[in-house]
Amino acid sequence: MTTDTTTAPPEPGPGLADRGRQSPIRRAIDLVLSERVPLLAVLLVLVVGWFFLLSNQGYLVAPYDSDYLFSALDSLVPLCLLAFAELVVIVSGRGGIDLSVGSIVSLCGMAFGFMVGLWNWPVLAALVVTVAVGAALGAINGLLVAYLGFPALIATLATFYAFGALALLSHNNAPISTKPIQDVHSLTRTVSLPLGDQVPDVPLQVLTFLLPVAVVVWLVVNRTAYGRKLYAIGTNDIAARFANIPVRRSRFLAYVASGALSGLAAVVIVAQFASARPDSGSVGNGMALPAITIAVLGGVAIVGGVGRVAGVILAGLLVVWLNAGILLAFEGSDGSQFQLFALGALLVLSALLNAYSLRRGRGAG
Amino acid sequence: MAAANPGIATRRRRPVARAVEGQELALIIVLAALWLILSISTDTFLTSSNLSNLLYSVAPIAIIGIGMTAVIVTGGIDVSVGSGAAVVMVVVAKAIRDSGLPLAPALALGLAVGLVLGVINGVLVAYGGIHPIIVTFGTLNLYRFLALRLFENKQVTGVPDTFSVLGGGKSGETLGVPNAWWLALVLAAVMWSYMRYWATGRHWYALGNDAAAARLAGIRVKSRTIAAYALTGLFVGLAGIVLIGSGGLVQQNAGTGLELRVIAAVVIGGTSILGGRGSVLGTLLGALLVGTVTSAITLLGWRSELTELFIGVFILVAVGVDLVRERRRRAR
Repeated sequence: MTTDTTTAPPEPGPGLADRGRQSPIRRAIDLVLSERVPLLAVLLVLVVGWFFLLSNQGYLVAPYDSDYLFSALDSLVPLCLLAFAELVVIVSGRGGIDLSVGSIVSLCGMAFGFMVGLWNWPVLAALVVTVAVGAALGAINGLLVAYLGFPALIATLATFYAFGALALLSHNNAPISTKPIQDVHSLTRTVSLPLGDQVPDVPLQVLTFLLPVAVVVWLVVNRTAYGRKLYAIGTNDIAARFANIPVRRSRFLAYVASGALSGLAAVVIVAQFASARPDSGSVGNGMALPAITIAVLGGVAIVGGVGRVAGVILAGLLVVWLNAGILLAFEGSDGSQFQLFALGALLVLSALLNAYSLRRGRGAG
Repeated sequence: MAAANPGIATRRRRPVARAVEGQELALIIVLAALWLILSISTDTFLTSSNLSNLLYSVAPIAIIGIGMTAVIVTGGIDVSVGSGAAVVMVVVAKAIRDSGLPLAPALALGLAVGLVLGVINGVLVAYGGIHPIIVTFGTLNLYRFLALRLFENKQVTGVPDTFSVLGGGKSGETLGVPNAWWLALVLAAVMWSYMRYWATGRHWYALGNDAAAARLAGIRVKSRTIAAYALTGLFVGLAGIVLIGSGGLVQQNAGTGLELRVIAAVVIGGTSILGGRGSVLGTLLGALLVGTVTSAITLLGWRSELTELFIGVFILVAVGVDLVRERRRRAR
């Protein structure tokens, strides 16, 4: 594994001549199986195409059309933000993982609720402070993992408990849903793009939260010195230390970034619910699980040093549109149960695939 | 791990290894102090019914923790145990309610279901070449899905008291201690000696220290890995039966969050999450500590959310102490 796997264009190496002799179909299959982004693109087309077909045949409860797909992007925003958080943390290596993102979401959501709902702060100022609170909580994780040497799994398990408890305690286990908080819901309205009537309305949060963050994360991990350091420490932190990279500080910053992204996700979630709920990040199995699933599905290797923003976004789209389709394919609560199944099966399959492509990568040298 | 060398040297000098080591001793002291404080400050803590309740509520965590210790010692982890317990509970509860299955076959059914779930985890971990946390995160979802399908959108009501002998009531006690807890003690004793004195038990430690070296030393890495997860599955089956206990109701959210409590107990007990070090004795003490904190907060009338906060802090303290000792051992 080298950090090369993270840069976008596959370098034409000596293997190319070798590949040239193979049939084009074989090459296409190879590409799809070993490169995550084309594979996800193919899967995405298959899933969406399949549900379109079912929809046209009338098997679904409601039409699965472009309007529905675009409105489903609502749930993509917090998921993707948290998956980015997992991306930076997992890439930073040494067993990096952040189980506490859900609790950070709960706690930051409550902080945002207090600032906007009870103290009547302007939304923008509250947003900035919320992200800062998230970064501070992430810094606690970073301190434990990077400087004190706690295994990430344990440190973030402990803070998952602690932050979650603080969120519940902060407002006596009651949600904050005063008028100013309800007004924040307008952040999640849909807007029509000036591209003609063919293009359906887009949730505003995709434009205001998801796209800018995706661009920033992409720039940071691919186009800054810090990003290169992150991949370097994730690939081999002893080698990175010999290369005079500040290993501890780089890893610490990854957890801070994860916390800040979780804080941002908290604002989006509060806006979506029009209420700051103390358990917003821990409903069901919590938010860490889907976020990690999307990151791993997107090709982030749990051993560190490998992972791309584009993969994570495509994986997020796949999960969200698959879930949206499943919801229409079953009546009642059956749909949400099959979503669990889909998430679990996707995770296991994608992890198996990761292991397969890593092994191939190693075999090719 | 460089730290293993001085450990081996001291062990050679003293053939009878110490049964209780640093972290376990510290845990015993903390537990004793907590129990002392609680019996002085509340008049309800040191009553037989409260202690019996505490031990019964801790039993499932302790039982699964015994298996989880083996898994974590191999360098793995199993976060699917909560969902697995839910599957066991719904299958067994429906079997004893709908077909009136008596105790022994129902027990066997529970163990078999747990074993199958554990073996699935083990095979995926051993042959998939994926990090165990990802595999078991996946099976956590799959098993929860399975459980919810089996529930058919209804909680299971009117479960008979087939397992009352393992339950929380008076009928499930011997000498004032819940049978479930006796069971945990016996299992822990067996596992403790197995992991300490049997070759195949030592293999788990070898695996956790360095899987590649273990393979070169002739240890059958894959089958030992599967064994650890299968055993955990078996214990999940048993814990599911203890959780059904005296019957009544099995809710759809059964077992949610159980995995985190189990992992907390194991880690507080001094088992290293990196593998290669740990003992089931510590896990029992860790489970007791988690149970004591939960019980104490209820008795003191504090907010129940504080339980989670304390568990988090205890994890950090336990692992922190362990890290400091590890660093000292390495410096020596």
